[in-house]
Amino acid sequence: MSLIDVKARRAAKQASRADDPSLAKSKVAKFFGGLALIIVILITLFPIYWMFRTAFSNNRAMFAEPLSLLPVDFTFGPLQRVLGLATPEEAMAEGGSGASINFAQYMLNSIAACTLITVFQVTFSSMAAYAFALLNWKGRDKVFAIFLIALMVPGIFTLLPNFILVKDLGLLNTILGIALPTMFMTPFAIFFLRQFFLGINRSIIEAAVIDGANQWRIFRTIVVPLAWPQIITLAILQFIQYWNDYLWPFLVGQSESSKLLTVGLGIFKSQTPQGNPDWAGLMAGALVAAVPIFILMLVFGRKIVGSIQSSGVK
Amino acid sequence: MTITADKEAPQRDTPRKRSVPKKVKKKANRDSQLKSAVLFLIPASIGFIVFFAWPALRGLYLSFTDYNLLRPPTFIGFDNYVAISTDPVFWNSLKVTLQYVVINVGVQTVAALLLAVLMQRFTRSMVVRGVIMLPYLIANVIVALVWFWLCDYNLGIINAGLDFFGIDKVGFFGNENIAMGTIAMVNVWRHLGYTALLLFAGLQAIPKDVYEAAEVDGAGEWRVFRSVTLPLLRPVLAFVLVVTVVGSFQIFDTIAVTTGGGPVDATRAINYYIYQRAFERLDFGYASALAVILMIILAAIALLQNKLLRANESDLER
Amino acid sequence: MKMNRVAILSLAAIPLVLTACSAPASSDSAAGTTLSYGLWDANQLPAYEQCAADFQKKNPDITVNVEQLGWDDYWNKINTGFVSGANYDVFTSHLANFPEFMMNSQILPLDDYIKADGVDIGAYQDGLSDLWKGTDDKQYGLPKDFDTIALFYNEQFTDAAGLTAEQLGSLEWNPEDGGTYEAAIAHLTVDANGVRGDEPGFDKNKVATYGIWMENSGGADGQTQWSFLAHTTGWEETNGAWGDEYNFDDPKFQATIDWWYSLVEKGYMPSFEAQTGIGWSDQLTAGKAAMASNGSWMTGAVFGAANDSFTPAVAPTPTGPSGERASMFNGLADNIWAGTENPEEAWKWVSYLGSLDCQNVVGEAAVVFPALPAATETAVAAFEAKGIDVSAFTTQVEDGTTFLFPITDHRSDVNALVTPAMEAVMSGKAPASSLSAVNKQVNDLFK
Repeated sequence: MSLIDVKARRAAKQASRADDPSLAKSKVAKFFGGLALIIVILITLFPIYWMFRTAFSNNRAMFAEPLSLLPVDFTFGPLQRVLGLATPEEAMAEGGSGASINFAQYMLNSIAACTLITVFQVTFSSMAAYAFALLNWKGRDKVFAIFLIALMVPGIFTLLPNFILVKDLGLLNTILGIALPTMFMTPFAIFFLRQFFLGINRSIIEAAVIDGANQWRIFRTIVVPLAWPQIITLAILQFIQYWNDYLWPFLVGQSESSKLLTVGLGIFKSQTPQGNPDWAGLMAGALVAAVPIFILMLVFGRKIVGSIQSSGVK
Repeated sequence: MTITADKEAPQRDTPRKRSVPKKVKKKANRDSQLKSAVLFLIPASIGFIVFFAWPALRGLYLSFTDYNLLRPPTFIGFDNYVAISTDPVFWNSLKVTLQYVVINVGVQTVAALLLAVLMQRFTRSMVVRGVIMLPYLIANVIVALVWFWLCDYNLGIINAGLDFFGIDKVGFFGNENIAMGTIAMVNVWRHLGYTALLLFAGLQAIPKDVYEAAEVDGAGEWRVFRSVTLPLLRPVLAFVLVVTVVGSFQIFDTIAVTTGGGPVDATRAINYYIYQRAFERLDFGYASALAVILMIILAAIALLQNKLLRANESDLER
Repeated sequence: MKMNRVAILSLAAIPLVLTACSAPASSDSAAGTTLSYGLWDANQLPAYEQCAADFQKKNPDITVNVEQLGWDDYWNKINTGFVSGANYDVFTSHLANFPEFMMNSQILPLDDYIKADGVDIGAYQDGLSDLWKGTDDKQYGLPKDFDTIALFYNEQFTDAAGLTAEQLGSLEWNPEDGGTYEAAIAHLTVDANGVRGDEPGFDKNKVATYGIWMENSGGADGQTQWSFLAHTTGWEETNGAWGDEYNFDDPKFQATIDWWYSLVEKGYMPSFEAQTGIGWSDQLTAGKAAMASNGSWMTGAVFGAANDSFTPAVAPTPTGPSGERASMFNGLADNIWAGTENPEEAWKWVSYLGSLDCQNVVGEAAVVFPALPAATETAVAAFEAKGIDVSAFTTQVEDGTTFLFPITDHRSDVNALVTPAMEAVMSGKAPASSLSAVNKQVNDLFK
């Protein structure tokens, strides 16, 4: 890509900014809007900075200076513990745990499980949302209301029966077992997509029907592309949610080949009833675990913005 | 199929004769769409029946039993519900849960709406968008622990700051009157970007030309928000409200990691109480009855919200 | 329960048109038997892995997989395991959960094995094996270790206050004026201006270092908080092992709690509001407290946190009106899951865990005190080699001043009722006499 090319692009981008009617124009409004954004960003970032500072501290020395804004007794130890590079002796010397972590394996497991869940769930939920939003059939709204009740089913009802089912299917300690209960649908995903599908202009669909397109083709070639930004948004949100999920993957996946990252990093939590967590290891683990999804968000986030500029559900 | 039958039917009077074929055609269309709908719904229905409906029905049954998880349940009729009606901890849990929901949803929705509009009207920066999503990338248990530390009475930087300015220290998690508010705000911090992103997705669905029109009219920022953004965002806003209200009624993790329901019962929210009954006290029947009550409350609220916010209608269509 | 599982399976499986329903894949492999063994303390993991390796050398056909999980996760896993039928064959158990497991027949009694192998149950430290006797008078566990209570303190603060280790080791307490124990606590408390708690001009609203730390209200047992004081007044929490009556309405107990709360009012101990947050050992390390009462299992964590401003040390708990000290005597044991497919092998492993061979290995790790006296000696020596004097903990055993964990039925309900009431007292919302009403509720559980 030549320099001129970049320059031209930047100019085009700036021009498009100036043209974008949904951006505010008034200088005063811009000032206060910007100020508000900066405040939000600062409040958002401070606790995260605190996590960084803690993640590079020596756990043994941590509370000698509990208010220090800089890492206490700076060390890469917690990071090494998280990545499974520290020996148990080294870990214990810095107040960590003697258990071991197979970081790369757990990371791959997490990626596999979350991808499996997200792809299937979003696909199946889009199909259901299409049926609920854009198809006409008797009892549609009643069936949708019943599906919506699933949103209210408390976790204590689903946890044990689902666990027993997964066990009886012989899927304990498999990625599939972890994914199974959420692969088909979640009420949230259906509800979310239906809401956007409802906004799609029906005349486009009716025109396609007249052209003789079947429902699957309409869904594939019209509805999905039109709602693509929202579908990707949903996929990202769900992926993050399952990435951070703990109790279910903990119960189902305990083998090395099925242990997810959150579960593997769980060893930094308190080990005795009254004990304190390995603060540094815990924070380092949380930050490292957030990196892949942060990258994912940036990559796909750009896609959202890109497609939004061109399409826009109408 | 119906069409052929109708064609053969004797034609009696003209006005009906005219309307019949049209109606039939629509009905035929509906039937074929029913078939498509069934096909489209098969995978989701499997998930719904196996992983939600069946466990919920089983839970409903268990709510009429005495069940400690380790022995088979015994049917006891409405005994659990009768006991709950006079359980002061239950009534208190409803009260504190409501406190939490009002603060959490209230602050979060208003702030997220403002943030989403700020993002739509003032910046296209991916960095800003990424930054406001950061808290949601951290597991909520960790978020709770970080704030537990930041808010600590003796070792937390917030109280150190208050002390520096000569203000009395605050027991954010230890003071009965403040604890639930603190927990609500911690979750606002984590979910603000998430909710803003949901709303932002809704804002993106608003056509650009309406802003153009508003600009031509010379409308100020507030008027654009009031008469363009807000009405057009309503379906998505309604959705977000239903989801956040239902979600925040089920607050659990943050309480489990920080206060454990205390001081006294100040943060013993309904879902935490259900958990304690079920897994700490092994009173699963009683916990199931509590959970059924929670489900009914949530369904009623969702229904009410849907009615009030006319969530199914999009102003765009009309 | 079996019925229930079949029902769940068949109903849930209808829409799935079941694929092969494989048998619970838990143990037997071609080479022999594999046992799973669970524990929660990561610091002890290396020692038990060593035990498992040694055990395997002696029993080549049995493999033991040792798994460690954090406290909350550990019990989640075990409870789910009971319900679903996939659990550890052998697991480290705690007295808080033991009654429920026993009463619901989830763990195996060991008497037949003990008799057959001729294991000497009396060899363990006095009383420990009684803790693991069920209501049916059967033995459910072999004691593996024990713990007692003592006062952890920061030597730099006690030195500055002019208190010697001898003085701290001979403190006396009574519920009326707190005795020399309270005097020491007061003297160790320092406000933001450097004024001590027993000096004129002390500002109790601006305390920099508390004389003693409060680690929550102690719930229904007060193991590390108030039980070591209350028991020196002759108070007993219940009417004996597997009792059916609690004594929270006893004036002796309530006087103890009233005195304990008075420390908050005087500013010598953080209020309930101020102590909610980071755990006690980090507060001690950070210099926010001069002393904190806690259990021997925390020794490694506290001494490991030594730094320029924190020199850890331990003193025994004070003597009370009885003229003696008191400490709760709590101990762990290994239980065998009733659903195990290999009870014989599981017993072999349990008896090995209870043997001197394994307990010596555990003792050498210097984390806890093993239950066999000879192995306890090993641990004391191992602690000494690390420069830690643990006599403050062992003196309670040597002097016979321990009392057992109050084990009864309905323990978790008792805890759920008493904890909020204790929190109300320690928040200053209610006097200790309010505990009489709760005591009635508690005793009603047994009717």
